Amino acid sequence: MATTVLIVDDHNAFRSRAKRMLEAEGFEVVGEAADGASGVDAAKRLAPDVVLLDLQLPDTTGFDVARAIAGETAVVITSTRDDEEYDARARRSGACGFVSKAELSGAAIEELLP
Amino acid sequence: MALIDADPSVRYRALLLAALDCVVAIDHTGRVIDWNPAAERTFGWSAAEAVGREMGELIVPPALRERHRSGLARYVAGGEPVVLDRRIEITAMRRDGSEFPCELTITRIVQPGDPVFVGYLRDITERHLAEAELHASRARIVSAADEARRRLERDLHDGAQQHLVGLALTLRLARRKLGSDPALVGELLDEALSDLATATDELRELARGLHPAVLTEGGLQPALASLAKRAGIPVTIADVPEERLPPTVEITAYFVVAEALTNVARYAGASRTDVSVRHIGGVLHVEVRDNGRGGATMNGGSGLRGLLDRVSAIGGTLFVESPEGVGTLLRAELPCAS
Repeated sequence: MATTVLIVDDHNAFRSRAKRMLEAEGFEVVGEAADGASGVDAAKRLAPDVVLLDLQLPDTTGFDVARAIAGETAVVITSTRDDEEYDARARRSGACGFVSKAELSGAAIEELLP
Repeated sequence: MALIDADPSVRYRALLLAALDCVVAIDHTGRVIDWNPAAERTFGWSAAEAVGREMGELIVPPALRERHRSGLARYVAGGEPVVLDRRIEITAMRRDGSEFPCELTITRIVQPGDPVFVGYLRDITERHLAEAELHASRARIVSAADEARRRLERDLHDGAQQHLVGLALTLRLARRKLGSDPALVGELLDEALSDLATATDELRELARGLHPAVLTEGGLQPALASLAKRAGIPVTIADVPEERLPPTVEITAYFVVAEALTNVARYAGASRTDVSVRHIGGVLHVEVRDNGRGGATMNGGSGLRGLLDRVSAIGGTLFVESPEGVGTLLRAELPCAS
């Protein structure tokens, strides 16, 4: 059975490219959200296997969203920005880890999942 | 009769009358015995009114008066001088009770009998205001530079970086499909090229905003022509000097015109905008005039304020005239001497 994914990111172009790439790699994208609040709602409603979560959201940060949902679903934080501290901070917020958007792939997500 | 040959009392009187600083002489009890015209202008008391009265009640603010009196009494009684013959800054008081910062030197006239003191006072309100404005202006320049860096990071993140990330994802997918779906790979490569072109355009636009290469290469004439072309409003440019000017003057003139044209396009609703740049007597006169709705002020937003700081930093001046319904004239005068 395909791993289900929710993509939370405020950039439409990224969501559509990530969706296409993940689906080509055998994932099932079950939903998309453009900000933190609707991301939390969608995560609770759709209960995906993993949430691909942008770090910089219009209303909050990915770390805060991860704290709100990490007990219920696996979270992978992503960003265009990259910083060596992001992976440790992502894990402290309850996420499985961090992957830079430029390095994003199905394999990169699977490596982080428990 | 030359002043140098004059009787000492005549000479003293001439010096007193001509002095730009306030000169106030008091006796050992603190009563005024001399009060020059500058003191009349500064404090609002005429010499006739001041002479014979205690100086403390005329020009020392109530909060400082007791300290002044006790200091004088202590010195006259044989104490060590505390304020004599050195420059100090204190607060003084005008006739209307308003207070102002004042630079003061007090000296004792050596003569037999009771001491006489002469105070030289200078109103330094304007100097304080200028210092405060200088500090504020430096703080604004630092803050504007920080904000510009934040904006640049945000623009890169939201613009070119997003396109490059999209490009990476598209190329990764194309590589994956290379063997199985060549038609899709063709479409993906077209999309990748489009992302690359968009990212390149955005980076070029950002670089131009940081420093216009056309200005460095060709000077103000082609740089202002390029600004006018991209302004999105009708702009006429006249009188731009062909000669190259100091780089700080050129870039300041460029940003004066750029800011003015941005404001015209955003707010003025003008049908005509004229730019003129003339180099006269070592000063570059930059004018941008529109026939829009007017009402602009220097404090209306951070743009003109920031421009004023930039112009002031090279010793120039910036004016805005913007009567409601008539249009706006933004004028900068930039010294060109290096």
